[in-house]
Amino acid sequence: MSVRYTPVSWTPFKWWFDAALLAGVALYLWVFTWLARGGLDEATVAIRARGTLAFILLTLALAIGPLARLDRRFLPLLYNRRHLGVITALVAASHAMAVLDWHFAYSPTPPWLAVLVSEPGVTQWPGTPFIPFGIMALLILAVLAATSHDFWLAFLGPPLWKAIHMSLYLAYALVVAHVAFGQLQAATQPGLAVLVALGAGGLIFLHLAAALRGEAWTAIAAPEAPWLIVGHARDIADGRAVVMRPAGAEAVAVFRNGQALSAISHLCAHQNGPLGEGRVLDGCVTCPWHGFQYRLEDGRAPPPFTEKVATYRLRLMGDQVWLDPRPNPPGTYVEPLRA
Amino acid sequence: MNDEFFIGWQKRPPPRLGRFLAMVAGGLVLGMAALGLALGSADEPGGPDFAAIGAGAALPDTAEMSGVVTLLPYPVLHRADGRPVLLGGDGKRGAGIPPGLDGQVATARGYVQQRGSIGMLVLDAPPVAERPGTPPPVQALGRWRITGEICDGKCAAGSMVAGTGLAHRACATLCLSGELPAILVSAAPVFGQSFMLLAGPDGGPLPETLRPLIGLRVSMEGALEWRGNLLVFRADPAAARTP
Ligand code: FES
Repeated sequence: MSVRYTPVSWTPFKWWFDAALLAGVALYLWVFTWLARGGLDEATVAIRARGTLAFILLTLALAIGPLARLDRRFLPLLYNRRHLGVITALVAASHAMAVLDWHFAYSPTPPWLAVLVSEPGVTQWPGTPFIPFGIMALLILAVLAATSHDFWLAFLGPPLWKAIHMSLYLAYALVVAHVAFGQLQAATQPGLAVLVALGAGGLIFLHLAAALRGEAWTAIAAPEAPWLIVGHARDIADGRAVVMRPAGAEAVAVFRNGQALSAISHLCAHQNGPLGEGRVLDGCVTCPWHGFQYRLEDGRAPPPFTEKVATYRLRLMGDQVWLDPRPNPPGTYVEPLRA
Repeated sequence: MNDEFFIGWQKRPPPRLGRFLAMVAGGLVLGMAALGLALGSADEPGGPDFAAIGAGAALPDTAEMSGVVTLLPYPVLHRADGRPVLLGGDGKRGAGIPPGLDGQVATARGYVQQRGSIGMLVLDAPPVAERPGTPPPVQALGRWRITGEICDGKCAAGSMVAGTGLAHRACATLCLSGELPAILVSAAPVFGQSFMLLAGPDGGPLPETLRPLIGLRVSMEGALEWRGNLLVFRADPAAARTP
């Protein structure tokens, strides 16, 4: 879809999304600070406001994926999740800076050293150090924010890029540990505990619900190996796909475009988005995540774009569609099935 | 099922989806405000209520004051009006007072941090000795077990609020490494005091072995004594524990 790399290709929708996000961020910090003004010193209020905000944003970033699976109307948010990720990393960094500038400044020991050596040994309980968890989470967020751009996606390749970006879950676990071994140990108010429990619990619930709602069709072996039975041709709606998950192989999307049936990889060449949840527009499968397009017959993006995905062979047996789960090299032409 | 399909690079979503997304955006903004409200107001109050205990008369903000200096376990200026003031340096540094000043009547200048009965004079310059003085009398109070938190006398005196608690422990550790006075903020007032200056069994500064307990709720045993109007607790490291 894109052969040039621009920093961000802005659309009015992205502007609105980012505007809403930044408004939410500003409002949160303002309300938190304004309310907490009474007791604590200013720097401590800033540390707590930014820390809790980073946790909330990280929770939202991880919730968008399963939400979009559960309700497709959330899909457009996936499109802009990277901006949310970058803002989260910036808020987390500003939390860390506020801590360095307050708890670790004004000392003969340099702040970066002090932050590493001021807590006792890891094995201590109670009093297990909690700062290292936060530092590790921040490092992960920084790496993810820095590699969030399409350049890195192309440079590393979608599978590696996606694997690296899955470490967001590790970052979340580290943040929970950072709070649990830190501020929660001394908490006399329930606010933070409720936030962490609802955030982490909500995420687990959403992910389970999305996983249970897998929309893939079960692959049934046809009488003749290696073919799999997809099902009745008429059950595939026009412009849509059914997704098959053959055992031990990549998922396949079987699309209908009018009378023609074609099978291509379920994984988009961009970020491994779910092509089978996309639609046929202008004769091309359109990825629901960022709108990359692929021709049905050869899995290639229309020129001038160069992305391509694997295609698969289909066969009609009576009114049943069969699929050969062995992928053709990406971009291989396969004559569509008429049914 | 809603069959509208929006591709991110399209200028704007189709109408029904657009309305849904506008609602999500509005919900996000309002939700963030509500969360800020809930968490900001539910945040920990500014430290334990020791700020309300034993304050006595307020010390002036910026001050030149004189009194008898004692250096162990940490530098203290015992003012003529009976009010003890801890001495500290700039930032996370101790007062760095030359040993010759111990027991001298001296004049010190700086600014004052005060919270409850804890007061600290943060020195602008080393105190100037005037003449030999008489250190305040020591009155032994016997052996005590006291529960509280080990922290530094500067943050607890109001340089930071909260200035105590687990999230502050690395800061307190750093302050104590910089030789600021170690204190025990007790969970309940002792002789009307919210805190006591901490010493090792020998009367010197906080033993290194107690370092891992900084910032935690600890129960400590040792000899308690008055030095003038200041409580000093000579804690026995072997008997310290987290309850
Ligand atoms: S994953 Fe980005 S367009 Fe498909």
